Amino acid sequence: MRNQRPAGTVPIVLVFVIAAMTCGGYERLMKTAFAAEGVDLWSLKKPVKSTVPELVEVAHRERVGNPIDAFILQRIEREGLSPAPQAERRTLVRRAYFDLIGLPPSPEQVATFVNDKSADAWPRLIDELLESKHYGERWGRHWLDVVRYADSGGYETDIYYRNAWRYRDYVVKSFNDDKPYNRFVQEQIAGDELWPDNLDLDPKRVYVVSDEKKRHLEARLGTGMYAFGPLVHESGLDAQKLCYERLTDWVDTTGSAFLGLTMGCARCHDHKFDPITQRDYFGLQAAFAGSIEVQFPLLTAMEINDTNQFYPRIIAVEEARTAYKLFQARVAGRELTAEEKEEKRQRLEAIALRVLELPRNAGSQPSSPYVGLMEVPTVSVLGHERPELVPTIRRLERGEMSDPRETITAALPSTLVQATGGSPSLPGPFGSRKELALWLTQTDHPLTARVMVNRVWHWHFGKGIVSTPNDFGMMGQSPSHPELLDWLAVEFAEHGWSMKHLHRLIMRSKTYQQASDDGAEKNLTIDPENRFLWRMNRRRLEAEALWDAVHSVSGTINLEIGGRPVVPPLAEDEIAALRERWQWPESADPKQHTRRGMYILVRRNFKFPMFDVFDAPVSSVSCPARDVTTVAPQALWGLNNRSVFKQANQFAERVKKEVGAEPPAFVERSWVIALGRSPTDIEQNEALNLLQKMTAEAASTDSANLLATLCLALYNTNEFLFID
Amino acid sequence: MHQTLPRREFLERSGLGFGSIALGHLLANESVADSASRSDPSGQQLSHKLATAKHVIFLFMQGGPSHLETFDPKPELVKRDGQLLPDSYKSFDLAQINTADAKLMACGVPFRKHGESGLEISDLFPHLAAHADDLAVIRSCYHDSFIHGPALTLMNSGTSLLGHPSAGSWAVYGLGCESRNLPAYIAMTDGMFRNGSATYSSGFLPAVYQGTYLRTEGDPIQNLTRLSQLNETGQRTLIDQLNVWNRRHQASRPGDSRLDARIANYELAFRMQTAAPELIDISREPSAIREMYGIEKGATARFGRMCLLARRMVEQGVRYVHLVNNDWDGHGECLKNHQSQAEKVDRPIAALLADLKQRGLLESTLVVWTGEFGRTPIMQGNRGRDHHPYGFSAWMAGGGICGGKVIGATDELGFHVVDDKVHVNDLHATMLSLLGLDHERLTYLFEGRNKRLTDVGGFNDLADRLCKG
Repeated sequence: MRNQRPAGTVPIVLVFVIAAMTCGGYERLMKTAFAAEGVDLWSLKKPVKSTVPELVEVAHRERVGNPIDAFILQRIEREGLSPAPQAERRTLVRRAYFDLIGLPPSPEQVATFVNDKSADAWPRLIDELLESKHYGERWGRHWLDVVRYADSGGYETDIYYRNAWRYRDYVVKSFNDDKPYNRFVQEQIAGDELWPDNLDLDPKRVYVVSDEKKRHLEARLGTGMYAFGPLVHESGLDAQKLCYERLTDWVDTTGSAFLGLTMGCARCHDHKFDPITQRDYFGLQAAFAGSIEVQFPLLTAMEINDTNQFYPRIIAVEEARTAYKLFQARVAGRELTAEEKEEKRQRLEAIALRVLELPRNAGSQPSSPYVGLMEVPTVSVLGHERPELVPTIRRLERGEMSDPRETITAALPSTLVQATGGSPSLPGPFGSRKELALWLTQTDHPLTARVMVNRVWHWHFGKGIVSTPNDFGMMGQSPSHPELLDWLAVEFAEHGWSMKHLHRLIMRSKTYQQASDDGAEKNLTIDPENRFLWRMNRRRLEAEALWDAVHSVSGTINLEIGGRPVVPPLAEDEIAALRERWQWPESADPKQHTRRGMYILVRRNFKFPMFDVFDAPVSSVSCPARDVTTVAPQALWGLNNRSVFKQANQFAERVKKEVGAEPPAFVERSWVIALGRSPTDIEQNEALNLLQKMTAEAASTDSANLLATLCLALYNTNEFLFID
Repeated sequence: MHQTLPRREFLERSGLGFGSIALGHLLANESVADSASRSDPSGQQLSHKLATAKHVIFLFMQGGPSHLETFDPKPELVKRDGQLLPDSYKSFDLAQINTADAKLMACGVPFRKHGESGLEISDLFPHLAAHADDLAVIRSCYHDSFIHGPALTLMNSGTSLLGHPSAGSWAVYGLGCESRNLPAYIAMTDGMFRNGSATYSSGFLPAVYQGTYLRTEGDPIQNLTRLSQLNETGQRTLIDQLNVWNRRHQASRPGDSRLDARIANYELAFRMQTAAPELIDISREPSAIREMYGIEKGATARFGRMCLLARRMVEQGVRYVHLVNNDWDGHGECLKNHQSQAEKVDRPIAALLADLKQRGLLESTLVVWTGEFGRTPIMQGNRGRDHHPYGFSAWMAGGGICGGKVIGATDELGFHVVDDKVHVNDLHATMLSLLGLDHERLTYLFEGRNKRLTDVGGFNDLADRLCKG
C-alpha cells in the first residue's frame, strides 16, 4: 500500500493501478521463469531479402506481374488453389480510389480509366492518386488508429485537447510528403531530442522563420502523439498515479505502434510469451521518465508580443460581462421596466461588440495557421522535466506498488538488442528517446520495417500477412507468407522507407488486381478465409469512408484539408448520450458539416454516433485492425437517419440538375454516380416500378421525396457499402 | 494463438447478439460460449456451471452512496461522533479531505432489523426493507480508486483503464441474446452517464456486444423513428426492393456471410421500429402497477419508469439492463442528499423486486445494487462525506440468491474491510458465476493476452455461498 512504502523511495505506482493492470493469474506468475536468451521467435531475426521464387512450372505464369505475385502464386499453387481472374476495370478504379484517397471516383473519372486502353493506365492512375492531397488523409487516418488518436482525455469529464488536431494534420502532411517512415518514427518518438531547436526567430530576419526551423518544428510536432492519451481529470489529486499511467500509456503505445509487440504484460512479470522482461519494461519507462508534455507556442516570440499588445481587448470583454452581471444583480427577481429592457439589450450588445473586436489574427505576418479568439496557438509535444523532478523508476515485484525493488535505469529491451546488436544501455532520463528512435530505425531492425509493411498490407488487403498487426510476438499469428513479408521489409528500407513505393509495388501486383467475387468451389473449400489471397478481399467501407462516400455522391462534400475538429449537428436522439451538450460545440458554418469524416471531433466519451455504429476504434489504446460488425443499428441509420436523408435529397437534387427529373434518365444517372456503373435493364425497370409503386401507395409526401427515397435506397445497397 | 482466431472470425461473420438474431437459424439462443467450445480445440472451453440467473438488472447509484447511511450500521461511529480520526487511519488518500484534522461523523439515520432474517437496513429504504429476506448484503466491497472517473470505469469494466468491455458486454458475449426484436444489453439513466457512452462500451470486444442506450422518453433508440417523408408501407416497399438488389448482389459474390447478415439486419431493423416503442409504451400497464412503481409521483417518476421498463425488458429476453440513478455524491450535507436520493429509488426498486417475484422472474433475474464507492466515516465541510473506496456496500437479490444474509464486514468505524474482502473483480466473478459463466474462461484475445472481465482477480466468487439458504 502506498502509505506503507519504505521511507526514501519514490512511489511510482499505486496499488490501485496494479489491481487493474496485472496481467496473468498469480499462480502462473510464480512459474514464469522466462529465459530471455532462449527466445526463438521468427520476428526477432533480421529480415533477409528473400529470393524471389522463379516460377517456371506453374499453371498461371502470366499472373506474375512483380515479385509479390511470385511469392503469392507459388503458395497458391502449392495449396492447390487457382488465382482469380483480374477484376474488371470499373471495379479496379473504384478499388483504387477508395483504397488510396478514401473517396469514390466521379463518373467521369471512372469513364476515363475504363476507356484508357494504354498499357500504363493502371500505374498512372496509382501515381495520380498518390499525388492527391487526399491520400494523406486516407492513410493518415489509418495511422491515427494505431496511435489511439483522440481530441479528449476520456473518463468522467473527457477533457478537451485543444490542439491534438495539429498532430493529426502533421500525420496527413507526413503521408502526403512521403516522409520516409524511419524519419516519421524518429520524429514521433524523439523529434525534440533529435532536432533540438529553440524554434525562435532568425535574429536577422525578424518575421521570417527559416526552413530549417520549420522542419524542426514539424519534427517536434510528431511527439504530439504522446500528448493525447487518456487522462483522468482529477488525477492532480494523485500525481504519482498520473505519472505512472502516463508512462504506461507511452510505453504501451510505443510498443504496439512501432515494435508490434504487446508490452502490457511485462509491467507485472516477465512476459510469458514474448521476449520482454519486467526489467525491459521498466527500462523503457525510465527512458521516458524525464519527459513531460509541454505546450509549445506556434507563434514566434515577435508574434506573441504582437498578440499580447491586444490583451486590453480581452479585459474589455470581461468588464462588459461584469457590467452585465451587476445589472442582473440589480434587477434580480422583478419584472424589467421598458428602460431596463433596453439597458439589458445594450449591455448584452456591449459584450458581443467587445468579443467581435478581438483580433482573430496575431501580428502582421502570422507564420502559423491561427484559429481562435486571441489565443496563442500552441502544440502539445514532448519536452524535458526539470532534472530534480525526474521520478526514479523501480521494478515493482508483481507490479505491486507496495513492493518496489531495485532501481531501473533506462535501457532497450535486452533480447531485442541481442537481435540487433549494440548495447542496451541508454543515457538516462534525457536523450534516451533519441537513442530508442535511432535504434528502432536501423535499416536491419527486425521489427520496425516488418511491422509497417505488414500494416500497409493489412490496409490494402483487409488482412495482414501477419493477421495480428500489433502482435509480432509469440501470441500473435505467424505470417502467412514469411518470405514475402521479409522481401517487402527489406525492399521498403532499401527504398528509403518510402510509403508510396510500397503502395506502387503492392497495387501494381496482379495479386492486388484480382477479382473479389471469384467463387471457385475448390478454392472456397481449401481456403475459405482466403488466407493465401487467391482472390481479392471484399472490403466494407470504414465509418469515415462511408461518411465521405455519402457526401461525395450527394455532391456536398467539403474537401478542405486540416484544421480544428469539425462538429456536425446531431439529432436529439443521437446526442442524448452526451454528458453535457456544450461538449459538442456545433460548427456554425454548414459547409463544415460536410467535411471529411476524419475531421469530425473524436471524443473518447462520445463517439460520433454514426461512427460508433460502424466500428470506429475505441481510441484509448492502439487499434491495429478495425472490427467489421454487421448490426441492425447500421440498417436503422441507413433507413432513418435525418442527415442521411438530407444527403439523399441533395443527391437527388444533383441528379436532377445534371439530367432532369424524368425517371429513366434519373435512374441511369443516380446509378452511375453512386455505384460507378449503369443500371442493368432489370434494375432500371425495378427502379421505375419502385417509384410507381410508391406513388400508388402514396408512400411519400411528394414526388421530390420519392426521388430522394430512390437515392436513399442506393445508399443502403451492399454494393455501395462494400468495395469489390 | 491459432485456435482462437476462428472464434473472432465467427463473430465477425455472424454478428452475434443484437444484430444477428435475425439470422435465426444460426443462433437463436446460441452464445459465444457454445461456439467457442466448438471451434476452439485449445482446451479453453467455458465450463458451464449451473446457471441460476439468466438476466441481470444492475441498479447503479452514481456518485457513490454512503454505506454508513444505507446497509452498514456503525454504532461505534455514533459513539465517537465528532472525535478526531485515529492516527492509524490517517495515511489514506481521499479525494477532498485532509485526514489530519478530520473528525468522525455519526450516521444520521437509524437502522432497524427487518424480515425473518433481521437484516439491518437504514430508514432511508422503508419500501425496500420489506424485501429484506430477499437481499444478500455485501458489506465488504472495496477497491482503490477514490476518483469518480476511474472508479466508474473500474465498476463497469473490472479495470480502471479505458477501452475495456463493460460487464454487460461480457455477459452478452458469453450468453448471447434471447430477444428477437430488442438489443441484448440496454442502458438507461435518469440524468447522465458520468463516463459517457464508455459506460456501456464493448471496449475491445466487437461492437455487437455494446450496450444500447435507451431513452425512457421520446425516441427510445437513435434512428428508430421512421422518416416523416415515408410512411410504413413505403418503407416496406423500399426494403423489399433493397432486398432484391442486395440478394442479387450477394448471389454473385459467394462466400461472404456479411452480405447475408446485412440483408437480415434490415428485417430486424424494421421490426425494432415497432418493438422498441412498444417496449417503452407503458400506458397499457395496469394502474396498480404504475402506482406500485411510483410512476405517477414526482420524486419516483423517472426511476420508477426505468425500473418498470427493466422488468418489461427482462420479460422480453433482454440479457443485461444497466440502470443509473444520478447524484449520490454527498460532499455536503450527505444525509440530506441521501434522503432525497433514496426517496427517488426506494419505492421503484421495491416495486421491481415485488413485480419480478409475482411474475416468477425474480428466480432467474439477478438484481444488483451498488455505486462506484462508499463515503467516508469522517466529515467533510458541512456534514458531508467524501469518496470512500476502501470499504462499501452492495446487495444482490434474485437470480438464485438466498436472501436475508450479510457477507463480510468493515471495521468498527466503517473504514476498512476487515472480513471477507470483495473486490470489484470478485463482484463481477460472482455475477458471471450466477449466469453460469466461469470468469477465468470467459476470455477474449486482445493485445496478446486472453483478457477477461475480472482481470487477474475474482478469487472470491460468492455465488455458492449466496445461493445457500
